[in-house]
Amino acid sequence: MSKVIVVTSGKGGVGKTTSSAAISAGLAMRGHKTVVIDFDVGLRNLDMIMGCERRVVFDFINVIQGDAKLKQALIKDRRLENLYVLPTSQTRDKDALTKEGVKKVLDELREDFDYIVCDSPAGIERGAHLAMYYADEAVVVTNPEVSSVRDSDRVLGLLNSKTFLAEKGDGSNVKAQLLLTRFDPARSAKGEMMSVQDVLEILAIPLLGIIPESTTVLKASNEGTPVILDETSGAAKAYMDAVGRLVGEQIEMKVTSGDQRRGFLQRLLGRTA
Amino acid sequence: MQAQGKNNGATRRVASVKPLQVRGRFFTAIALHLTGRADQAFFDALDEKLLQTPLFFENAPLVLDLEESQGLGGPRDLADLAEALRARRLSVFGVQNGTAEQAEAAIAAGLVVLPPGGGRSVPLERVSRDHSPRDPKQALAAAAAEPLPTTRLITQPVRSGQTIFADRGDLIIIGPVSSGAEIIASGNIHVYGRLRGRALAGVNGDTTARIFCNALDAELLAIAGLYTTSEALAADTPRQFVQVFLEDEKLRVETLK
Repeated sequence: MSKVIVVTSGKGGVGKTTSSAAISAGLAMRGHKTVVIDFDVGLRNLDMIMGCERRVVFDFINVIQGDAKLKQALIKDRRLENLYVLPTSQTRDKDALTKEGVKKVLDELREDFDYIVCDSPAGIERGAHLAMYYADEAVVVTNPEVSSVRDSDRVLGLLNSKTFLAEKGDGSNVKAQLLLTRFDPARSAKGEMMSVQDVLEILAIPLLGIIPESTTVLKASNEGTPVILDETSGAAKAYMDAVGRLVGEQIEMKVTSGDQRRGFLQRLLGRTA
Repeated sequence: MQAQGKNNGATRRVASVKPLQVRGRFFTAIALHLTGRADQAFFDALDEKLLQTPLFFENAPLVLDLEESQGLGGPRDLADLAEALRARRLSVFGVQNGTAEQAEAAIAAGLVVLPPGGGRSVPLERVSRDHSPRDPKQALAAAAAEPLPTTRLITQPVRSGQTIFADRGDLIIIGPVSSGAEIIASGNIHVYGRLRGRALAGVNGDTTARIFCNALDAELLAIAGLYTTSEALAADTPRQFVQVFLEDEKLRVETLK
């Protein structure tokens, strides 16, 4: 039984694409056949984060419009056996997405894949709506900051009303979980940042994971590697735990620090690892 | 699913079969009480009020209550007033509780004269049904089958951007109400959770309606059209387990004992 998971947030720049890349890579590492789809038509960032931008020939919009077959557009990841990327078009805009087209592609993907991760664009317009419309589950990416929390709350309202499952009207709903990103435990303790409890109290959904603010995230993005593959990164560890919870494992919630502690010797020598 | 995508086509098809439908519908209107002539002082006070909460009034239908405004009588007065209100983006459409003279002037100014005393209206289908049953037994059965003013129960958090409207009774929310959300009821509002959004109770004019909540952090509170914003609430207002009610035309917030 395949699952469609939308990674969404409302607000831009909170880490949707980074999280989509990390989660899909994490699922693939666990042996699940996974595809990640870029719904951000016109901006096309996912293929860069995944490091496959130079291999894009056909895209999601080509498939929707029947100009290419799905198999031609899917890009197989070079690092992970079970991971595929469906990039989007840079030259079209979001009006090229249609409900029927998205459904057709998702139905076809459901036959082959265990997990279909939809990387939603920011906002609550057409692209974001269609990214969440056919989802079974949602990962709501939120920064510990008031405007991000407000936007996530808005998105949760849409997940409960404007999706296929919600419109069916049989009481089923998209299962939404919170992924708190760019969290800095030290600043939160000082009261400069919202605490995990504050965010959970407002959003009232289960917590999937807490991803610490880390320099390794930006470095990984620039290199075109999902951050989860960087073993030295605290963020990678946190994403791994989140993926474990996403597939239903019970993993204790820990707030990791962003960058791994330097070893005793390295600290003595004053060098960075 | 296809039908969802072609929604427009579907409605057009339906429309070609059935050119129109008549339905009774509730709308909430704001009543503006005038206490004298519509002079400069009145407009100054009005402008100040509008400045405080500009979005609250935007495009909201508005009724002029003329009960205490005997001074306003000339045939042009009402037309001028309506024009001045529309210039402030207030959608005035009717008058209420005016004298016969004022009613005439209102009609001349293109305003609707609403029946005096409150604003409760009854859905159209219920009006027509009330005439039909001849047999009292049948009438009783019909009355039993007909839903009474009902309470609306929401067991999920009310999210930013959502509006929940209980048009026939109380509204009970189990869970938080986020800022940016709006909960509206013709009766009381109960929130078993933190109230951060806007809560409007007694919107059909019920001044006895109350708002109850576990934790008060509301952006706006209103009962029977009398409202206050979070900024206007005193700093020492109780915040936990409170009720909000009207007393002497003022909103009061008190801790539940």
